[in-house]
Amino acid sequence: MKARILVVDDDEALAEMIGIVLRNDGFEPVFCADGAKALDVFRSSRPDLVLLDLMLPGVDGIEVCRQIRAESDVPIVMLTAKADTSDVVRGLESGADDYVPKPFKPAELVARVRARLRPGDQKAPETLKIADITIDVAGHTVSRGNERISLTPLEFDLLVALARKPWQVFTRELLLEQVWGYRHAADTRLVNVHVQRLRSKIEQDPEAPEVVLTVRGVGYKAGA
Amino acid sequence: MVSATKQGPDPAVPKGGPANAPAAGDSPESHVGPDRPEPRKAPEHTDAVTAGFQRLSFRARIWRRRTLIVTLRVARLVRTGFRRFLPALRYIGRALHRRWRRSLQFRTVLTTLMLAVTSFAVVGAYLSNQIANNLFQERLTQAESETRYNVKQVQDTFDGAQVTDQSSVITLVYDTLNAVEGRGSVIQRRYVFEAVPEQTKPRNRWVESRASDQLTVSVIPPELRKAVQESGKDQYWASTVIPVGTEDRPGIAVGNKVTFNGTVYELYLIYDLNTAQQTLDEIQSVLWAGGAVLVLMIGAIAWYVTRNVVSPVSHAAMVSEKLAAGQLQERMVVRGEDEVARLGASFNHMAASLQEQITQLATLSQMQQRFVSDVSHELRTPLTTVRMAAEVLYDAREEFDPINKRSAELLYNQVERFQSLLSDLLEISRFDAGVAVLDAEPEDILQVVAHVIEGAAPVAAEYGSEIILSAPGGAIIAEMDARRIDRILRNLILNAVEHGEGKPVRVTVAASGTAVGIAVRDHGIGMAPAEAARVFDRFWRADPARARTTGGSGLGLSIAMEDTKLHNGWLQAWGKKGHGANFRLTLPLRQGEEIDKSPVQLEPSDITLPDEADNKNMLVLEAGGAPFVPASTSKETT
Repeated sequence: MKARILVVDDDEALAEMIGIVLRNDGFEPVFCADGAKALDVFRSSRPDLVLLDLMLPGVDGIEVCRQIRAESDVPIVMLTAKADTSDVVRGLESGADDYVPKPFKPAELVARVRARLRPGDQKAPETLKIADITIDVAGHTVSRGNERISLTPLEFDLLVALARKPWQVFTRELLLEQVWGYRHAADTRLVNVHVQRLRSKIEQDPEAPEVVLTVRGVGYKAGA
Repeated sequence: MVSATKQGPDPAVPKGGPANAPAAGDSPESHVGPDRPEPRKAPEHTDAVTAGFQRLSFRARIWRRRTLIVTLRVARLVRTGFRRFLPALRYIGRALHRRWRRSLQFRTVLTTLMLAVTSFAVVGAYLSNQIANNLFQERLTQAESETRYNVKQVQDTFDGAQVTDQSSVITLVYDTLNAVEGRGSVIQRRYVFEAVPEQTKPRNRWVESRASDQLTVSVIPPELRKAVQESGKDQYWASTVIPVGTEDRPGIAVGNKVTFNGTVYELYLIYDLNTAQQTLDEIQSVLWAGGAVLVLMIGAIAWYVTRNVVSPVSHAAMVSEKLAAGQLQERMVVRGEDEVARLGASFNHMAASLQEQITQLATLSQMQQRFVSDVSHELRTPLTTVRMAAEVLYDAREEFDPINKRSAELLYNQVERFQSLLSDLLEISRFDAGVAVLDAEPEDILQVVAHVIEGAAPVAAEYGSEIILSAPGGAIIAEMDARRIDRILRNLILNAVEHGEGKPVRVTVAASGTAVGIAVRDHGIGMAPAEAARVFDRFWRADPARARTTGGSGLGLSIAMEDTKLHNGWLQAWGKKGHGANFRLTLPLRQGEEIDKSPVQLEPSDITLPDEADNKNMLVLEAGGAPFVPASTSKETT
C-alpha cells in the first residue's frame, strides 16, 4: 500500500515538485495550499505523514501543526525557509517531529519521510521500566502506575531507545541516528526540544528530571 | 618709668612657666613620699622616724613592682587593641581616601574646614596674645603706680615714727605693712618685707622680715631681689607665682627699698593677676567657642554651596551613565537659567539627538533583519524547487544526449554553488544585523572535531590526503554552540584539504585550565605573510586565477571569524609560501571568561626558518605567545 503524504505548501511550483519526487519514490501525495483548509484536508485524506510549510497564508504552519497534533499522532515534518533557531524551536515545540530546511535535496526529503514512516522494529511483547515509568513496547503504551501517559510515536521511540540501554549514555548525534534515522550532521536542537517535550509529559517535575537524565557535556541517559 | 629689669616670662602665659615647675619636677616614684608638698625638705622630717623610713622604702619597692606590672599590662592591652582596631582604622582610612578621591563635595568641604581651622587658629592666637598683653600692661602700670604710692606711704610712716621700744616698733611696722594690704575683706596687694642682707645690724633692729599670709621671701625671683638690692631707690618688677589658699596664682611683684631706723629693707608688693587671668581665660574660651561655631558654619556653608554646584554635576554624571547603559529616555532636570541649567539643556539636547540616531539605527537594523529574513524565505522556496528539479534532471542525465546531459550537470553543480553562496550571504548578513545569537551549551569539543574529520574524510580521500588528529585522551568540555564550532572546523579542515596538495593535514587539539586550542596545519602551497593577514576578509582570494576552480563562496573564513567572535574566541592564521599554513582556533572553556593564551602554538614547531623574523607572519588578534603543548599526553588517531 502506498503511503499517503499530505503536502501543505502555498508555493504551487514547490508543491508540484515535491509531488513529482514523492511519486517517483512510490508515495501518494495529497496537496493543500491554504493553512485554513489544511485541517479539513487532513481529516478527509487521512495521510500517513504531513509535510508542512512553516510560512503559510491564512493560518500559519505552527498553528496548523498544533491543530493536527491535537487530534492525531501522525508524523509531521516541517519545511522551513528560516533556519533561525527560534523558528525551528517554535515549530518543534508546536508538535512537529522533524524539520527539513529549505533548500533541500530530493533525497534528503525522501530520507526524512521514510525515517518517519518506518514501521518500526517488529515489536515483540516487551516491557521496559525507567524509574517509575512502565513501557509496553508492543502495545505502544506508557504508564506510571495505573495512569496512562499519551506520547507521540517519536517521543515513544525516543523513550524506548533510552530505556533499552539504561547503562548507556546517548550523545545527541547517536539519538539522531537511532530515533530520527540521520546519518550525518543534523541539528542537535531536534533532540533538545524533543527531550524537553518528553520530560514535560513523563516527569513528575520537569525541572528535576528522574526519567531522562542529562549527562553534562555528553548527552542523555535513562534514569535508574 | 622706673622699671629697668624686665625679667618676667611671657606675661601671656603666666600660668605655664613657674606654676608648672614643681609639677614638672615630679619623679615617677615621688608619690611614694608622703612629704611631697614641701618644696624645701626640712631636715627634721627625714630623720624623724627611722623605722618608718625602712617601711617606706619597702612599700616603695612593692609599689614600683606593681607599677611595672600595671605598665606591662597596659602596654599589652594597647598593643592588642591596636592590632584589633588596626584593620578597622585602615578600613576607615581607605574609605575616607576613596571618598576624597571620588567626591568633589567631600574634598571641597574638608579643604575649606581645614583652611578655616588654620586661619582661626592663627587669628585666635594673635588676638589672645594681644589681649593678654594689654591686660598685663594695664595691670602692671596700675601695680607700679600703686606701689610707688604705697612705698612712699610706708617710708613716710617709718620716717615719722617716734618709737623706740621693741614692741611698739614691731607693732608700728606690722600695722604699717598690714595697711598696705588695703582695707576691706579683699586683699588688694600682698607684701614681702625683708631686711637687705649683709648690712651692719643696728642694736634696735627688731624686725627682720615680714610677709603677708602664706608668703615667704622665696616667692620673689632672685633676679628681682638682686636688682632691688643693687639699685638705689629704683623700683623693679617681675612676674611670679604666689600661693593663695590651695592654688598657685600668677602675680606681679614690684620691689623697692625702704629704710627704717637705719636699716634698709626690701619691700615687695605683690599683685594678684588672677582676675586678669580669669578675664583672659573667659575671652579665650569665648574666642575658641566662637571659632568652633564659625568653623562649623563655614563647613555647613561650604557643604551647601558645593552641594548646589556639585549635585547638578553628579546628576549629569548619573544620567549620562544611565544613557550609556541604554536608557535612552533618561534626561536631566533643567531649572532656572544659570550655567547648570544651560549644561542640563545642552546635555538633554545631546541625549535627544543620540536617542534619535540610535533609534534610527535600531530601526534600520530591524529593517535589515526583516529584509534578510524575507529575502531568505522568498529566495529559498523557488531555489528549493529549482534544486529539486535540477537533481531530478541530473539523476536522469544518462538518458539525455551529450549536450543536454552536460547542461543538466552544469545546472546541478551551479545550483548547488548558488545555494551555498546564498546561505553564506544570509549568514553574514545575520551577523551584520547583529541577530546572530550564541546558543552555548557545555559539550565535548573532541566529539565535534572527530565528527567534522569523519565528515571531511571522503573529500580528503578525493584529494589523496590524510587527516591526522592529535589530541589528548578524555573529553574537553567547553561551553560552545556546537553548530557554529562544527561550521568553523569544517571550514578550516576542508580549506586545509583543498590547499594541502595531497599532503597530510594535522589537527592538534589541546586544552589548558581556561581555554581549548585547535590548530589545523597543512603543508600545501602556503601563503605569503600579506595574504595570511587578509584570509578572513570577505570574498578575498589569494589567487584570483586559481580561485574559480575550487568551490566555496569566499565567505567561509569570514563566517568562521564571526562565529569565533561570537564565542569570544580567537581565530588566527599563519602562513609561509611553500611551507603550508596553520589556522588556530582558541575558545574559552566557559563563556564570559577571557583567554590569556592559547594552548596550541600558531607557528608550527615543525618548521625552522633561517630568517624567522622577516617571514613570520601571523594575524594576531590578541598578543601573547602560546607554548606548544608537548605530545607526551597526546594520542594520535587518524
